[in-house]
Amino acid sequence: MTAGKAELLRGTLDMLILKTLSLEPLHGLGVSRRIDQITDGVFQVQPGSLFPALHRLEQEGWINGSWGESENNRRARFYDLTAAGRRRLGEEKRNWTQVVLAITKVMEAT
Amino acid sequence: MRIYTRVRSVFASLFRKAALDRDLDEELRSYLDMLTDEKVRAGMSPEAARREARLELGGVEQVKERVRERRLGANFDTLVQDVRYAVRTLTKNAGFSVVSVLILAIGIGANTALFSNIQSVLLRGIPFAEPDRLVTGQKTIGGQVTGTVSRIDYFDYREFSGSFEALAALANFTMEFTVTGGGRPELVDAAFVTWNLFPTLGVNPISGRHFSPEEEAENGAPVVLISYGLWQRRFGGSADAIGGTIDIDGSPIMVIGVMPHGFRFLFDADVWALIDRYGPFDGERDSHSHLVVGRLKPGVTIEEAQSEVDAISASLAEQYPATNAGKALLLTDLHRYIVRDVRLILLLLMATTALVLLIACGNVAGLLLARGERRHSEMAMRSALGASTRRLVRQLLTESVILTVVAGFFGVIIAYLFQDVLLRLLSVGELGIGRPAIDARALAFTLLLSVVTGLVVGVIPALRGATTQPARQLGSGARASAGLQSGRLRRGLVVLQVAISVALLVGSGLLIRSFAQLARVDLGFEPEGLLTGRLKIAVADYPTPQERSEFFASLLAEIEAQPGVVSAGLINRLPILSPFQDWGVWPAEAPEPTLQEGFSPMARWVSPDYFRTMGIPLLRGRDITSSDVDGTPYVVVLSESTARTVFGDADPIGRRVHVGWPEREFEVVGIVADARLTTARGAPDAAAYMSAAQLGATRLQIAVRTSMEPTSLAGTIESLVRSKNPNVLFAQAASMDSALTDRLADFRIVIVSIALFAGVALLLTAIGLYGVLAYHVSQRKSEFGVRRAMGASNGSLLGMVLKTGLVLVGVGLLLGLAVAYPGTLLVRQLLYETPPLDPATYVGAIGFLGLVAVLACLLPPWRATRVDVVAVLRME
Repeated sequence: MTAGKAELLRGTLDMLILKTLSLEPLHGLGVSRRIDQITDGVFQVQPGSLFPALHRLEQEGWINGSWGESENNRRARFYDLTAAGRRRLGEEKRNWTQVVLAITKVMEAT
Repeated sequence: MRIYTRVRSVFASLFRKAALDRDLDEELRSYLDMLTDEKVRAGMSPEAARREARLELGGVEQVKERVRERRLGANFDTLVQDVRYAVRTLTKNAGFSVVSVLILAIGIGANTALFSNIQSVLLRGIPFAEPDRLVTGQKTIGGQVTGTVSRIDYFDYREFSGSFEALAALANFTMEFTVTGGGRPELVDAAFVTWNLFPTLGVNPISGRHFSPEEEAENGAPVVLISYGLWQRRFGGSADAIGGTIDIDGSPIMVIGVMPHGFRFLFDADVWALIDRYGPFDGERDSHSHLVVGRLKPGVTIEEAQSEVDAISASLAEQYPATNAGKALLLTDLHRYIVRDVRLILLLLMATTALVLLIACGNVAGLLLARGERRHSEMAMRSALGASTRRLVRQLLTESVILTVVAGFFGVIIAYLFQDVLLRLLSVGELGIGRPAIDARALAFTLLLSVVTGLVVGVIPALRGATTQPARQLGSGARASAGLQSGRLRRGLVVLQVAISVALLVGSGLLIRSFAQLARVDLGFEPEGLLTGRLKIAVADYPTPQERSEFFASLLAEIEAQPGVVSAGLINRLPILSPFQDWGVWPAEAPEPTLQEGFSPMARWVSPDYFRTMGIPLLRGRDITSSDVDGTPYVVVLSESTARTVFGDADPIGRRVHVGWPEREFEVVGIVADARLTTARGAPDAAAYMSAAQLGATRLQIAVRTSMEPTSLAGTIESLVRSKNPNVLFAQAASMDSALTDRLADFRIVIVSIALFAGVALLLTAIGLYGVLAYHVSQRKSEFGVRRAMGASNGSLLGMVLKTGLVLVGVGLLLGLAVAYPGTLLVRQLLYETPPLDPATYVGAIGFLGLVAVLACLLPPWRATRVDVVAVLRME
């Protein structure tokens, strides 16, 4: 939205969501706020991307949604990581490290 | 289990959609609530917080749509949705849908049926083993094909050539024999073949054996092969028939085998006998009445065989210059030879239907395009509501594919109906070719073609519709001044549509004219109200020519005395039903001409009144009369072209000619018009008519002209004949009309279906052109409203529309004509007695389209001028 904010790399949103949820179960807004917070506002996840991603991840069986009470006593849908999701997060992490290493090598080549 | 989870998810998104959507709704609502809470906590007023939260969420519907799109199984789900939506849109525009489906279905159906026939008749071939090795040999003189071959020449070719596995021959006619013994006497047709004809074709008797080479020898045993039908009729299908005898014209002849049910080769026959023994004697090199059929050795090409045969022809010409100079044998692929008459019809039909399919596709394309344009705002609306471009394109494609699939379904039905008609009209059964069935590949091909058409036609409006800027389309001004670009597209559409229509109409017009030329059947006699049949008397009962002619004369008199009978006549071979038999005719004072110079009209002998009965006009001189009997000087009536060929412009009446052999001289007493004697389609035949009474014929064919239904007389004549002499055979009674219908049915029905095609093509073109033009005009409806509000009169508006419309149509016409002429090169080969620049076709096409164009330009604006100005302006 605002200038200065980074474009989320294609395919990384899933990983960020999985990582966020690996710390504690969260509802949609919670996920969005947590990513915002951790990245110091570099990434802001819009609902138009967030919800499709959440639902897709749930369908893949990596996260599991259930209704619960929010901190302010609102009914909200909370997501937590499944065992499959944890494995998936591991894979994504490895891939990501490889990509980062490779790109760093290219960029630092003299 | 990953797979399990995914499958469950897909099922959930397909079948638990409502529940999923409810969850999603609730989730989004709670998201919104929490966002609002957050903002209130940050110090906003509840109202401001709510508005802010909404803005941040973006469109709820868009979010929902995106979630749905990303669900597993979403593709299938959207497909179902697309189909449902498409069906709804299509049924809402029932007129458009029905017309498009009809147009495409006719195109698909007709093409499938035709391709199936072409496939089986032209491409697949004849039902003989390895048909591509079968060839036929025709005689050529000085390079011109003149048909049948001399038997003696044939034996030389058979003896000296090495290119053939077998070289066989059959006589180019059948002969009639009486079969007696066991039941009523029966007239059967016999064909004469060499011993090896059936082995050459690769057709075996279903019972018994083939002829053997020894039986062909001069003093071989008298043996015949019989048809399945005769076997059933005379022997009840008994195995005892083989090796037994059958009485043919009073002599017992051994039956050695039975041919398969339905077998025929070039002629219908019940008996096949060997050429040498029972054939009419083609015993000289200048007498030609045989067809040669050969099977090439494996690996030998037709060209190699031809050059060998040419060498033999050359040496024969050297050896027998009097009869063989300039004579050769032309080898042709047997299949090609057999289908030679049908070939052109099929190709013409194919070209015509292909054009009609093109017109159909073009018109549906035009309709879809115009409709796609009109749906701009709908597309814009849907895209504003969250549909992605991909989604919109898919939607439109689904619509056109559904149209074509439905059309394909009806197309199949039409194909089967059309196939029935085609089978009846092409009489391919007569060619000895198996009944063609609808070819699955042809069907698949046309279906594929139509689906591709649907995709291509659908994708253009889809892309245009999907790339529109929602804001512009939905904005208030969009309708009043439809963008410059879209206007250009519309005008382009009109020009293109007119151009294509002209080009296609000219093309199919030329083809249709060719059909009309092909089908113009003027027989030279009147077939309506004629009963025909065959008569045969036994020589033993009427030994002298005089007794025979007295019998026939009194029979004719009795028949003519019957109520309803106008007249009756006899001839040795009735036109069309019994073709062939040509004899040389030359002036008595001249020497017998050589083969190359000779002229051989059809040789016929008739009773008095034959010409009147047939309706062949007597042009000069007199008819054969009852006084032209045995013992009086021989007379002959020549047909017009015979007289012209033999005597030029000189008066032939009273001149003397030889007919057939130099021994007899005939005096020319009359001239009649030419009539078609051998085929209904070819040129009229030259003929020489002698007196049956003078020649003492024993078998004749009868023609009775009646004022009633011809076949109703058959019984009467039969009993008349029986009461005169029970030994006399009267057979094959049929109306001339029905006999001809069998032979002309192909043309009649081809003409009907071509007329139908033409009608369909015209209708399609008119609908398409009208649709596109009317659409063009209707797009300017609001413009008219504005202009009228500003004081323009109806007349000036009409004038304006007509002017711009006609300019577009004019450009289209010119463009179309420019394309049409080179386009006719494609069909030029198929044109029959029709020049590629046939003025009637061009004028007709332009006139018709011009008229449609004027109507299409005038009607919609005329309706538009009655538009309520206020209503239009309020729309803005």
